[in-house]
Amino acid sequence: MNNTFTSLLHRSDGPLTCELLREPGNFGLGQVPVQMKPDATTDMVCGYCSTGCSLRIHRRDGAATSLTPNTEYPVNLGMACPKGWEALTVLDSPDRATTPLLRDETGRRVPVDWDRAMQAFTERFKTIQAEHGQHSVAFLGTGQIATEEMAFLGALTKFGMGLLHGDGNTRQCMATSVVAYKQAFGFDAPPYTYSDFEESDVIVLIGSNLCITHPIMWERVMRNPHSPEIVVVDPRLTETGVNATQHVALSPKSDLTLLYGIARILIENGWIDTDYITAHTNGFDEFAEYVIQFTDDCVTAETGLLRSQIHRLAATIHHGKRVSFWWTMGVNQSHQGVRTAQAIINLALMTGNMGRPGTGANSITGQCNAMGSRLFSNTTSLLGGHDFTNAQHREKIAGILGIDPELVPRRNSLPYHKIMEGILSGRIRGLWVVCTNPAHSWINQSQCRDILERLDFLVVQDMYANTETAQMADLILPAAGWGEKEGTFVNSERRIAVIRKVAQAPGLVLSDFNIFKLVAHYWGCADMFEHWQSPQDVFQLLKKCSAGQPCDFTGVEDYEFLNLHGGVQWPCRDATAADLQERRLFEDGRYYHSDGRARFVFEDPRPLTERPNDNFPFILLTGRGTASQWHTQTRTRNSAVLRKLYPKDIFVEINPGDARQLQIGPDDKAVVESQRGRVLARAVLTHAVQPGQVFIPMHYQAANQLTDAVFDPHSGQPSYKACAVRIARN
Amino acid sequence: MPESLKPSSEQRSTDADRIELPVLNSARRPHGGPTLIKLLLREQQELTAADLFSQDHAAGTIPDQARYYSKLLPAAPPGPGQQYAFDVDLDRCSGCKACVTACHSLNGLDEDETWRDVGLLLGGTASSPAMQHVTTTCHHCLEPACMTACPVDAYEKNPVTGIVRHLDDQCFGCQYCTLACPYDVPKYNASRGIVRKCDMCSDRLAVAEAPACVQACPHEAIAINVVDAQQVLENSEADHFLPGAPDPQFTLPTTHFRTSRAFPRNMLPVDYHAVNRQHPHWPLIVMLVLTQLSVGAFIVGQVLQSRLPASLLTAFQQFHSTSALGFGLLALAASTMHLGRPQYAFRAVVGLRHSWLSREIVAFGAFAGVACMFAGVCWYRPANWLVPTLGWLVVVTGLAGIFCSVMIYVFTDREFWSFGTTTAKFALTSTILGIAATWLSILVFGSFVDTPTAGILARRAGVPLIQGLIISTAAKLILEASLFRHLTRRRQSLLKRSARLMVGPLAGSIFARIACGLLGGIVMPLFLWNELSTDQSRGLFQVISVAMLFAACLVGEMLERYQFFAACAKPRMPGSVS
Repeated sequence: MNNTFTSLLHRSDGPLTCELLREPGNFGLGQVPVQMKPDATTDMVCGYCSTGCSLRIHRRDGAATSLTPNTEYPVNLGMACPKGWEALTVLDSPDRATTPLLRDETGRRVPVDWDRAMQAFTERFKTIQAEHGQHSVAFLGTGQIATEEMAFLGALTKFGMGLLHGDGNTRQCMATSVVAYKQAFGFDAPPYTYSDFEESDVIVLIGSNLCITHPIMWERVMRNPHSPEIVVVDPRLTETGVNATQHVALSPKSDLTLLYGIARILIENGWIDTDYITAHTNGFDEFAEYVIQFTDDCVTAETGLLRSQIHRLAATIHHGKRVSFWWTMGVNQSHQGVRTAQAIINLALMTGNMGRPGTGANSITGQCNAMGSRLFSNTTSLLGGHDFTNAQHREKIAGILGIDPELVPRRNSLPYHKIMEGILSGRIRGLWVVCTNPAHSWINQSQCRDILERLDFLVVQDMYANTETAQMADLILPAAGWGEKEGTFVNSERRIAVIRKVAQAPGLVLSDFNIFKLVAHYWGCADMFEHWQSPQDVFQLLKKCSAGQPCDFTGVEDYEFLNLHGGVQWPCRDATAADLQERRLFEDGRYYHSDGRARFVFEDPRPLTERPNDNFPFILLTGRGTASQWHTQTRTRNSAVLRKLYPKDIFVEINPGDARQLQIGPDDKAVVESQRGRVLARAVLTHAVQPGQVFIPMHYQAANQLTDAVFDPHSGQPSYKACAVRIARN
Repeated sequence: MPESLKPSSEQRSTDADRIELPVLNSARRPHGGPTLIKLLLREQQELTAADLFSQDHAAGTIPDQARYYSKLLPAAPPGPGQQYAFDVDLDRCSGCKACVTACHSLNGLDEDETWRDVGLLLGGTASSPAMQHVTTTCHHCLEPACMTACPVDAYEKNPVTGIVRHLDDQCFGCQYCTLACPYDVPKYNASRGIVRKCDMCSDRLAVAEAPACVQACPHEAIAINVVDAQQVLENSEADHFLPGAPDPQFTLPTTHFRTSRAFPRNMLPVDYHAVNRQHPHWPLIVMLVLTQLSVGAFIVGQVLQSRLPASLLTAFQQFHSTSALGFGLLALAASTMHLGRPQYAFRAVVGLRHSWLSREIVAFGAFAGVACMFAGVCWYRPANWLVPTLGWLVVVTGLAGIFCSVMIYVFTDREFWSFGTTTAKFALTSTILGIAATWLSILVFGSFVDTPTAGILARRAGVPLIQGLIISTAAKLILEASLFRHLTRRRQSLLKRSARLMVGPLAGSIFARIACGLLGGIVMPLFLWNELSTDQSRGLFQVISVAMLFAACLVGEMLERYQFFAACAKPRMPGSVS
């Protein structure tokens, strides 16, 4: 009696306490919440960024209940960023497209079954092709679906449907690196492995906020035992800049001049590896002569840096025994990105910082499968990094696929921005957008939406029915997401790894792979794809396509093999090579040009495309906001926890000095205007942005209403990161 | 593939036959389309088999992740005078926020529930900018305010580990701890009606596993340390916690934020200037205002009793005491609405030794009891000697209750809720509403019971009551408006933040509050005064005046109390851009 009374008055245990009870989870997991204790696990790589972390999916009665980062995996060593931790959460969302939606005569979108959707798809596209020519229908793909799916999309459209033009959203992130590598190395080949982050004694990060964009790569930097010198070249003080030993805050887009200036100082001081240059490169003499003009005066004037800063940076590179150079979107998304990337490559080549642990000219990829897209999406290159314009290549691929070589286009596709121009000029009338969101992400957004509105038929295939682009679509095809399908991704360090089907997709959702299969069937070209029954089948085909190429992975047996080896980096020509968990390219100094040598490529720097002026006196920088946001947020906004971890509304960072002058107080609403648009944003005052510059994260839909549609002439990549704006208090 | 889902050849043909019959346009619909769709939809629901190797893991083995986190745990448990504490290496915190999501996942929290926060400090100069992310959670304080505040003893501080644990099954959801903790740690979980918080994953620590955040930080920025209580005390006295963070001497937080960086003088949280309306706690607003009304009404009743002849008051007092009691009981009923689990309201007495909330509940409980007796005696034994004694007892218990109310807020150590201001506000509310309620009683008494007596009462007591009301209202409005002086300060003090809230997001309610105050506390009393000084009494006019006076005063005080909560800028750890 007394006990009952006491326990009524004071309880330290009971049902509510039990809800948070933890128990050993087994499977090497440590304690897990009792209610989510797994009865089995499955490992797969994450579907956000190119780091390619392995996540251990906890399963109960087959279904995924939770996940933890995989401890053994050589990429992430037991860690994940917030997006990875929340990867399963975003699958369960009211925003999911669960049935095909077709716009009817009144303009309303009504749910239809797949049969009706596929009939509309084939009828409308075939009609457009009949009226305006085979090439009047195009597609835009992605770096976010499995390699097997990308290959299917590329092969189906180009070989089966007779399309010529198709590109991916990788044009927005990696095209610059692709061209830079192809021209310099002879193949699109990022040479590094993540352990290079740990082996370097000098790490130079150019236009990369690794801490936020790739937190798990930053993990590797933090585990570097050599107390490395960390140089961050970025106009803005980023999280990575804070952790740098040298933050080189140059003027926006003056990086090419800086890098040429550094090259000159290295050459003048004899701080170069002549043996390496002689043995493995072409074009150095011309380069050395060219950079003489980049005197200290020239570089300081252009970059706004001090002479001492530039010389310190050059000396740091010289003193480093293992110097690695890394770049991301700050370089790629530029009006002169290709040459800037090549200027970085030049520095690595001339100092002999290639092919050894802790070295390299290393482009860090963006999306989880951008590398897969670059080699196997059949857009810019023919399957397996081949060339559409090369008859031998066409024969080879047609032979492997068992199709008529004549079906393989002899011409290259238009790049993304030319496809947009094609729509504008009326040559392209139908567009199939797969797993990307141009109405949010494409540069100069208002113009982009205007262009998309001109299409006769827009098909959007996506997980979510409410993306900005899906809202414009005539037909929405509901696609399965990461976790609801199988296939492989290739990460930034060329590591091929598998994704698994661990969650049941809602409604009538189909995997992209099976949607392509269905389209092939309804289009009437299913015979061509009779060997494409499952992603595993396609994986085997792609292996054959890669044979003899630098990206040869014929040594990989199958998905199980990949899982067993913790992913496998290409090249992997025989199964025994797969045991090597970390592998870098060019250890023998042989590059992929026919003479085996790398090339110095250079060109005159060009001024900013839109200089600040009296009307628009500020330069707008854009970039990643937080580690919990991903691109256009179609996925990340579906996790309640992630939503708590990023600012809800668009904000603009401005220097406190500028703000004081404009009477903009902290937290005030400010109007940011460019020639193209006007955006209302909350002001955040910070010295992290220099006077005369403002910064807006790219995840907010309005950001691209301001940006200016200019492109790198070699890669066609949009230059998101610098345009002129004005700002005032609202 | 489960056997049942495998499409047999017969099944396939049956499906095909059934669905393909009404084909009208075979050019658009190729042979076997619907069958293929069925197959693919079925295939979509089949999941990949679980990894075979995963079956090999035996129960009870050391977790894989231990290889990374073992060095982040202390070698030995705390000794006497020591406890566990979070040790955050700010040099390694890059702001990725993996700790927040890992804590959420590994502890099985609700969909939007998080126990960790990551804030951002900004400062420096154009040539030397500074930025620092800060991950924080419960500091497992030496003197946890949550624990002292809790009326039901739902917190316990482990004598060995020092971990402050919340007992979810003991909590009755009063949320007082969410006001008391300066670090915004206890989070109210509305669906369960209780508060939950970080327990440093004590079950994990007990078996040498790292807490979720420690396991998951990619940069090893969070570790568990053993700290000396003495050291924590000295550090807290020295007032160096973090820029813009609450003063550590209040609760003695044990978390240690290490950094090799020198923060510039202007280093401030990025949300330092943000003004956010705080939770208004409506049941508390009603409870506070009505208890104060009730006590005030009893006091005014007692004062009248001591000044006027008993013959005038006997019948009135019956009426007035009942009315005051009614308001008091309504207040207490409202207060239970604030509890997440009101069925456990009886537990409130458990924390009497340390919790002002317990004391308030006990005091007002006593007040309600005595007031009931008093009202009863007024009706049944109006001439009894007990009446004045009980009357004063009601006043004393009521004042004790109000004092406890004051202390509840004073305890939280917020400037806006300082002892002086809070006492003055609550006392003046009592006076204003006590007088207003008395006028209401006179009015109702006059209208329904005894018009002549009420008239005499009004004439004899009316003027001092009106004077008291006008003076109290003026004093209160001036006191409230005095907050605006902080707007002229350059530094963003907590009081300036409150003032900015009032002229910003709360401006509408401020306007209404002042209007109600002026109307009910000054304009209508002046009308009444004028009315009393004329010989001709206009009954209806009086009724309307008194009704308006009472309503305006009551609404005005409710609005003031709304601002008391909504504009109370609380100290907080560095936050992020909202």
